[in-house]
This record gives sequence, C-alpha cells and structure tokens, in this order.
Amino acid sequence: MKIEMISFGKIAEFISNQKIEVDGIADTDAFKQYLEDRFPALKGIKYKLALNKNIVQQNTEITNQATIAIMPPFSGG
Amino acid sequence: MSEKKIKNIFVDGPIEPAFIANSIARHNSKTAIGGHSIFMGQVRKDEIDGKCVAAIAYTAYEDLALEKMHQIREEIFEKYPLHCMHIYHSLGTVKTGEICLFVFTSSAHRKPAIAACSEVVDRLKAELPIWGKEIFEDETHQWKENI
Repeated sequence: MKIEMISFGKIAEFISNQKIEVDGIADTDAFKQYLEDRFPALKGIKYKLALNKNIVQQNTEITNQATIAIMPPFSGG
Repeated sequence: MSEKKIKNIFVDGPIEPAFIANSIARHNSKTAIGGHSIFMGQVRKDEIDGKCVAAIAYTAYEDLALEKMHQIREEIFEKYPLHCMHIYHSLGTVKTGEICLFVFTSSAHRKPAIAACSEVVDRLKAELPIWGKEIFEDETHQWKENI
C-alpha cells in the first residue's frame, strides 16, 4: 500500500514529506504506531493526523494512495 | 455545506495598515451596516530565557485551513445576523510590531459584529492548521503554541 506523508511545524524538522510503501497498516492507529517506531521523537509530542484532508478524530481505515498529514498543535493568529 | 466558493484568507508577509484602511473604506456604500468590529493580531516581542522574539514565520496546511475556515464562516453566518465578514492571516515572515491577523465583521447593530468577531478569532486559533515559528534576534527559533 502507498501512503503519502506530509508533516508540518516542528514535526517537519524531523519527518520530511515522503511517499512510503508499507504493508499491514490498516488504520490510523496502526499508522501512529508505525510513525512512533520509526520516529521516536514523535512520542513526546502532541500531534494530530489528517487523512485525505480530514482531521482524524477516531481510528479510521486507511486505503491505498492515502495522504496523511502529521500536525503538531496549531498556533495561528 | 453551501456551494459558495472557498475564499483565500492567506496573505504573503505582514498585513499592511493601508490594506486594512482600504478594507474599511470599501464599506462606505454598504449603508445598512451600523457597526463594525475589527480584531488585529500583532507579533509581540516576547522575551524567553533572555532572548527576544524578532519575527514569527507562519506556515499552514493551506487546503485544510481554507476548508475549515469556510466551514467556520458558514457557521458564524448562520449564528449571527452579519452583513459581512473578512478574514486575513499572514504566511511567511512577520516582524514584531507588524500585523499577522485581521478579522473584520459588520452588522446592522454592534453586538452581533462584536460577538462574531471574537468567536471567529477564538475558533481560528484553535481549529486552523497554521503554525507560528518564533524567530529570535540571534536567529534561533522555537515553535509557538496557542494556549
């Protein structure tokens, strides 16, 4: 399965935008686990995901060619 | 959701005072309006561990931010009897003392304009995927967090 990852704010300093080819990531909870294993720095940070431009509020199924944004707390204004 | 076009809110760099003045002036012909409310966010020279903030560099997940702003805008228009609402937010570098956010609401009487303006600012800060990087005078930085 192909997933496009984009990251923002301080998370963009250690996770660059990239396309990954992975198997066995069925949903956003599994994706979080994958992310935190691969990027341990993420464990200490509050972050939210957006799956195909929808902010993830609860565990959601991921389909092929998904775009997932990794977003630290917002600080606009 | 309505089919209204999604408006851009992003401005490259600071929001100039002349831009704000022009925006006010353009309401001369809208004579049903009796009250305007304006909020302007200005980059503050915070001092953190002896270092002063020189600027904030803003980035956003623009597509998502504009969709979310559109949704907020629709909800605010549903809730308050407004004549119009204008929202601008900077992207890129804004120096201390410069304006980074401009929210402008207008209604027949003052109270809806004031309440809507305040609510838009609160929701925008909490819900839009925008990030501010505080850049210090020595060029180090830290990421701002809204509290």
